Amino acid sequence: MPTPVKMPRLGESVAEGTVGAWLKKEGDYVEKDESLAEIITDKINAELPSPIAGRIAKILVQTDETVAVGVDIALIEESADVATEAATPQAAPVKSAAQATTPVLEQKTAAALPREDGARSAGRSKAGSAPLSLPLPANNDRRSEATTTSAGNGARNGHGEEERQRISPLARRLAREHSLDLNEIVGTGIGGRVRKEDILAYLAQEQSAPEAIPQYATPAVFASQPSAPSSPVAPPHPSVGPTQVTVAGSDEEVVVPSRMRLAIAEHMVRSKRTSPHATAMVEVDMTSIAKWLEKNKDEFKRREGYSISYVPFVMKAVCEGLRKFPMLNSSWTEDNKIIVRKRINLGVAVATDAGLVVPTVYDADQYTIAGLAKQVNALAQRARANKLTIQDLQNSTFVVNNTGVFGTIISIPIINQPNAGILAMNAVVKRPVVTEDDAIAIRSMMYLCLSFDHRILDGAGSGGFLQTVTNKLQSYGREIDVY
Amino acid sequence: MSEQKVTYLEAIGQAIREEMRRDEAVFLLGEDVGSYGGAFKVSAGLMEEFGPERVIDTPMAEAAIIGSAVGAALMGMRPIAEMQFIDFITCGFDQIINMASKMYWRVGMPVPIVIRGPSGGGTKGGPFHSSSPEAWFFHTPGIKVVVPSTTYDAKGMLKAAIRDNNPVLYLEHKLLYRLPELREALPEDDYIVPLGKAIIRREGEDMTILTYGAMVHQCLRAAQVLEEDDDLEVEILDLRTLSPLDREAILASVKRTNKVLIVHEDTLTGGIGAELSAILAEELFEYLDGPITRVAAPDVPFPYAPPLEAAYLPNAEKILSAARKLAAY
Repeated sequence: MPTPVKMPRLGESVAEGTVGAWLKKEGDYVEKDESLAEIITDKINAELPSPIAGRIAKILVQTDETVAVGVDIALIEESADVATEAATPQAAPVKSAAQATTPVLEQKTAAALPREDGARSAGRSKAGSAPLSLPLPANNDRRSEATTTSAGNGARNGHGEEERQRISPLARRLAREHSLDLNEIVGTGIGGRVRKEDILAYLAQEQSAPEAIPQYATPAVFASQPSAPSSPVAPPHPSVGPTQVTVAGSDEEVVVPSRMRLAIAEHMVRSKRTSPHATAMVEVDMTSIAKWLEKNKDEFKRREGYSISYVPFVMKAVCEGLRKFPMLNSSWTEDNKIIVRKRINLGVAVATDAGLVVPTVYDADQYTIAGLAKQVNALAQRARANKLTIQDLQNSTFVVNNTGVFGTIISIPIINQPNAGILAMNAVVKRPVVTEDDAIAIRSMMYLCLSFDHRILDGAGSGGFLQTVTNKLQSYGREIDVY
Repeated sequence: MSEQKVTYLEAIGQAIREEMRRDEAVFLLGEDVGSYGGAFKVSAGLMEEFGPERVIDTPMAEAAIIGSAVGAALMGMRPIAEMQFIDFITCGFDQIINMASKMYWRVGMPVPIVIRGPSGGGTKGGPFHSSSPEAWFFHTPGIKVVVPSTTYDAKGMLKAAIRDNNPVLYLEHKLLYRLPELREALPEDDYIVPLGKAIIRREGEDMTILTYGAMVHQCLRAAQVLEEDDDLEVEILDLRTLSPLDREAILASVKRTNKVLIVHEDTLTGGIGAELSAILAEELFEYLDGPITRVAAPDVPFPYAPPLEAAYLPNAEKILSAARKLAAY
């Protein structure tokens, strides 16, 4: 029985992927974890390692074809001798075969992700004890902490994962004919299988209540849910939803958005529909930090090899705020509960040529300001080089966004689901300010804009958080210890 | 309509008698069919009416019986060859497969023979007197296979088989021969039941059961329970003719109900159900709301011991449990 290789889920809200190139051809023998193909998604590009050792029996999805996550893209025949050879004590091939036949499970996807050469043996030995092994990031410096990270994520993934939806061939056809999103339909067959009667009941219910809550109103709190984007923007999957063809007028031009643009669009609309956004702003006196940066920036860069800006200072202050107001480090769940995250994983918005990505600095509260600067630099570099891993793009609990680099003085951010809040920092500008002793002075000022999920907390909580951040940023004197 | 209700067995006898009266080319040959009137008395009284030249007692040699019938058919006769038990048809296999079914293809001469005999189990007849041989012939092009399940069909289909210019294998189920429930008053006028046409024995929306022969009655029993206890309306399509299959009726019913259970008394592997499954998967994949399901005898020789025979044969209980599982799928 050949083992199917499935399109991996390379990112939380990514529903499909494109085969960029096949690195092997039919008939080739591959080792376990040897790269099979390059996969391109909205978020990242990655090499897909083989789940088992064997011979490529068939390539099912050709180069440049795009298929949904979980779709078989190739078949690999496990060769008995290669398998025995690879069978290190814990009978690894058996395990991987089992994983490979479980479709769309996150742990399988994770196991199928690229690993750096050095991390390979570590990952394999870990697979024996832990239920899943997450990819280790490329950066050597982060290897040790990433190991702890993956252990922590194991628990979360195990809880949030979903099995492939069961559905009869007839129900699948009916859903397609009526343009239904199968994720919306609850199956009543054995094992929750969607059957004819479920589709008919759903249609009947839709007919009797045409004004019912729109499908996308369900809070998509867990982005790990493999739901296809039930997006109000033009869905990337052509068969979903009615197709309306846009035609350009004589003085217009139609631009087909990139896949990343579509993903961003979907996420933004979903976030606005999911969380009632409220925004609060404070003005922060950044004079001490500005002066310190002015004086030490260049030397810091020379010494450390990476630059330092306002961002790590704000991140540090945000960590302190989140410790004090943990409700901002939480998620509103689908079943109307609030999950408070104990770890502080800060997402940092990074503009790339292709669009916006928000990689994660795990356990940001454990770093010094210089440490944060280093992490942010590394992530930004990987983002721009298109080298982010799935791990980089998951599990943020709060986001800091520096729109100030574009010169804005006020900006109202949209929450990165499923977070409770997002903080936008703006340009630090010199302004005449009335000081505490009623003098007028020239100070370096910055507006911080916090958008928060008003389901989770109110003005008091968000105000307290902003106050904590402000106080921290204004607490620095002439000398700042960034280590 | 005749006042008198007849059995399935009597209906077969009537059909032979009427056809022999109608057409002088029709004659009967087989073991003990003449002076003894047949092992099951199907041909009782025929020798008296038509004489030993048209009701011929033969040696115990099926190859000879079928071979003679093929030869007679080539010379313009319309023979009815009786197998005392259908199990022994294997002895005449070559005459059926290599001669009867291929003759028209090879030399353009039709072979209008009917080979008939009692098939099926449930009579504690053991491995040589209980078999259901339809799949071997179903697989063979050039021969029709019919399996009547009611008294009306037994008569009408035998008459149609005798008038057909192709070789026809006519399988009577011996359990139905004298079943009181199957007693029926038949039309006095000449009638036939056309070959190649299935019939809906019971209408329903929730599931189609494809079956034939004696199993039709087990399915009807199960359907009754499913209606009363499970609120399920099961449609039962009696195939009646296995070769050629009434594809139109099969596909129409399953397309409507979206679930299908196939029931036959013959063993599972390579049986009629296997071909039906393939047709349905090919033609109606996107109309199926559950897996194509088969209830059939296990792949072992027919057992002799009564408890084993009871365990071996498909019955209403087995059909019921398979149908419930399919309905819940």
